[in-house]
Amino acid sequence: MGSGIYSFLLLKAFYKPFEAFTELAKVDPSPISIIFRYSLWLMLLPPVFSLIGAANFGWRLGANEPLMMGPNSLILISVGYFFVLLFGLVTTAIISCWMAGTYGASESLGRHFALITIVAQPLAIASIAHLFPDVLVNVLILIPTLIWSMYLLYKGIPIALDTPPERGMLMASSLVGWLLVAAVSLLGISMALWTMGVGPLLGV
Amino acid sequence: MEAVSENTYHDRIVIRLIQFSVLWAVAGMLAGVYISAELIWPGLDFGQFWLSFGRLRPLHTNGIIFGFGVSALMATAFYSVQRTSHVPLFAPKLAWFICYGWQIIVLLGGLSLLAGWNTTKEYAELEWPFDIAIAVLWVSFGIVFFGTIATRKIKPIYISNWFYGALIIVIAMLHIVNNLAIPVTIDKSYSIYAGAQDAVVQWWYGHNAVGFLLTGGFLGMVYYFLPKHAERPIWSYRLSVVAFWAFAYTYIWAGPHHLHYNSVPEWVQSLAMVMSVVLLAPSWATMINGIMTVSSAWEKLRTDPALKFIVLSLAFYGLATFEGPMMSIRSVNVVSHFTDWTIGHVHSGALGWNAMITYGTFYFMVPRLVGRELHSVRLANIHFALALAGTLLYIVAMWAAGVSQGLLWLSVDQLGELSFGFRDIMASMTPYYLLRLVAGLIFLTGTFLMTYNLFMTLKGQHATKVTVPAVNPAYGV
Amino acid sequence: MSGLSLHKKIEEHTGLLIFGILFVTALGGLVQLLPILNQDSLSTATANSHLYTAVELTGRDIYMREGCSVCHSQQIRPLIAEVERYGPYSRADEFVYDRPFMWGSKRTGPDLHRIGGKYSDDWHRIHLLDPRAVIPASIMPAYPWLEKRDASQTGNVTAKLRALRTLGHPYTDEDIEAAEADLDGLKEIDALIAYLQILGTSYSEETAL
Repeated sequence: MGSGIYSFLLLKAFYKPFEAFTELAKVDPSPISIIFRYSLWLMLLPPVFSLIGAANFGWRLGANEPLMMGPNSLILISVGYFFVLLFGLVTTAIISCWMAGTYGASESLGRHFALITIVAQPLAIASIAHLFPDVLVNVLILIPTLIWSMYLLYKGIPIALDTPPERGMLMASSLVGWLLVAAVSLLGISMALWTMGVGPLLGV
Repeated sequence: MEAVSENTYHDRIVIRLIQFSVLWAVAGMLAGVYISAELIWPGLDFGQFWLSFGRLRPLHTNGIIFGFGVSALMATAFYSVQRTSHVPLFAPKLAWFICYGWQIIVLLGGLSLLAGWNTTKEYAELEWPFDIAIAVLWVSFGIVFFGTIATRKIKPIYISNWFYGALIIVIAMLHIVNNLAIPVTIDKSYSIYAGAQDAVVQWWYGHNAVGFLLTGGFLGMVYYFLPKHAERPIWSYRLSVVAFWAFAYTYIWAGPHHLHYNSVPEWVQSLAMVMSVVLLAPSWATMINGIMTVSSAWEKLRTDPALKFIVLSLAFYGLATFEGPMMSIRSVNVVSHFTDWTIGHVHSGALGWNAMITYGTFYFMVPRLVGRELHSVRLANIHFALALAGTLLYIVAMWAAGVSQGLLWLSVDQLGELSFGFRDIMASMTPYYLLRLVAGLIFLTGTFLMTYNLFMTLKGQHATKVTVPAVNPAYGV
Repeated sequence: MSGLSLHKKIEEHTGLLIFGILFVTALGGLVQLLPILNQDSLSTATANSHLYTAVELTGRDIYMREGCSVCHSQQIRPLIAEVERYGPYSRADEFVYDRPFMWGSKRTGPDLHRIGGKYSDDWHRIHLLDPRAVIPASIMPAYPWLEKRDASQTGNVTAKLRALRTLGHPYTDEDIEAAEADLDGLKEIDALIAYLQILGTSYSEETAL
């Protein structure tokens, strides 16, 4: 199995995701290798793009002037962004693996890491939109990408994890449920932290 | 009204209520799409008072909750209580009175809202003549429902009936207490409560209207229709018992989380916050019960589009019942209160949970009620994709809008001065409102497809006569 | 197991089930509502409370009719940013004559609790008839019919004051008799502006609790 699957993943998964899923179904990679040779690099893209964009253009929220932030804030945000993405990837893969038994899917943790990364890949690449941090631009690019990613999730699970399409659909729906809960928790935790002083200045 | 034999279920009324429910869904969602367009292009009221946002908004909320929601609850309650009691409906003429009486209230009530008869208390906007009419009808609903249970031929009262029962009892209590007012003229009354006291009463009502109508009643739907659909019993009976009583007890306390940092005593805010967080447990207990029940029936997903709706509705139920407690926490509420995040939360529940479970249930019920196949499985599958896409888009748009508003309103600079003007912040909401409009249109399109599909299935058909089956003596009364 | 056998009794008996549900669901309401409804400081008028005149009450009822509270809140929270933007935070005694309360649950437009005196009558007039004439990016609807309708068309103001008096609002007989005449010559827009202009103005730091 060696390094073949990883280089395959990095390249093929981008433009031939379904072949990647089929190849994935044949292997049981090591989760650590997947993270360090594949996932980490993708997870770096959004924070780096957002750092460059925010530093050069400022956050454009639609209101008059762009919001320019000092270097400390920018780095704090980007580092936080990276760790949130990493946390999201790791927890989703682990939860996916935990659920797999219920849905008759493969319980190879490495496969789950690879699967989730392939599903997230389009978003990581589309985050190039962060280079120009205008809300509308990012929304117009990232929402269709999100739709594509979800499609990959629903179609990819049965193939990569070797389970019937209907059980795959149920599992994908449960993962979507988890992702929604995770997203809203992220919102809530960020808000709680910001209002307690960890973040930009707020007059609460 | 044809004569119904002593021993067949009353299902014509169920079909009629489903038809009304679907029509109100379309009307209510059309109103919703229209007002969301008005938030982008305010000229869409063309200077007419009856198209004004302030009057159309309660039309939307009332049309959806009381028109779409309650009709669906009545339809499913009547269907399921008969079958779980093994008797035809108690007092069927009264049931028909309720069916048509309710539609008249919703229709005339809607028109009264356009005319400006408005108490401004949320989800209790209808003025006192309608409040009285609603109370009369609601008591009748209780008589028919509990009468059927009291005359049942099967000993235990099935759990779905506890939830519908709680819906009826609690809404009666909330409605009567919150709407107490001194009438002045036919179109105007003054609440007997004022100021801060009124606020606490109103949100005891408002939150529990959501809790027992939009949550409790629809959980009744889940507990009956999901096992029927999956052809398996509920995963854990014991869990459902604990979940029901914990749910019924805890939900009532959560009201004042709508009043964080408002001028009401601090103890009631904190109490509500704690109980709202506790509420997460019974809510998720039911979700888990549902998911585990349906997981074992996965082969049906291949052929049955309705089941897809049910599965996703449970996921969104999980989201909404997690988000609610989270937003009840003061440090999150500080940002979310008064923003579009609240609207997003409402719609993750209304679209993702309520609408989807109702759609799934209707797709299940209608073919069975008339003894033929659904007109088009393909359309139902397309509907599912549209419903899912519309819901997700709506939620994301409102999260983004709400969090932006909340944070930008609170932003101060190094000198402690406000960083942004209110007008600038609201002007920056347009992209999110556009997204939300698109989301609503997508969801509405799906609803249109369902309306067509269900009406084609029902066209020219009559309710199949279902004889009440014999009761296993072990469970007999 | 006695828990489950108690439950078996309840789930086999309609009356017990109804009573059980009613008991369990009434508790929270009783614990939260009774103390609040009995707390006099939440319903006793102070120097910060303003009894609406006939004209202002008419304006308030127009505000209700048009659904203004759906976009505008009337509740300033005790947060630094909010106090800076809108003024002193709202106190309970300012709302003792508000039937019903209109604290709102959404700000599509700014909070209005202390809007009184911040803009001129003329500004309000132009703004209500065409919001975009004063705020180009505004999404507020226009209310052209308010300047066409007489204030007396809003409703029976004499009956309103009488009803409020039975609820404890200290209107005198003179107030009630003069109510109709007070509206003479006024259009609905005048009444609404009168209401907006007193909002939050009774509050005073010295007498605040």
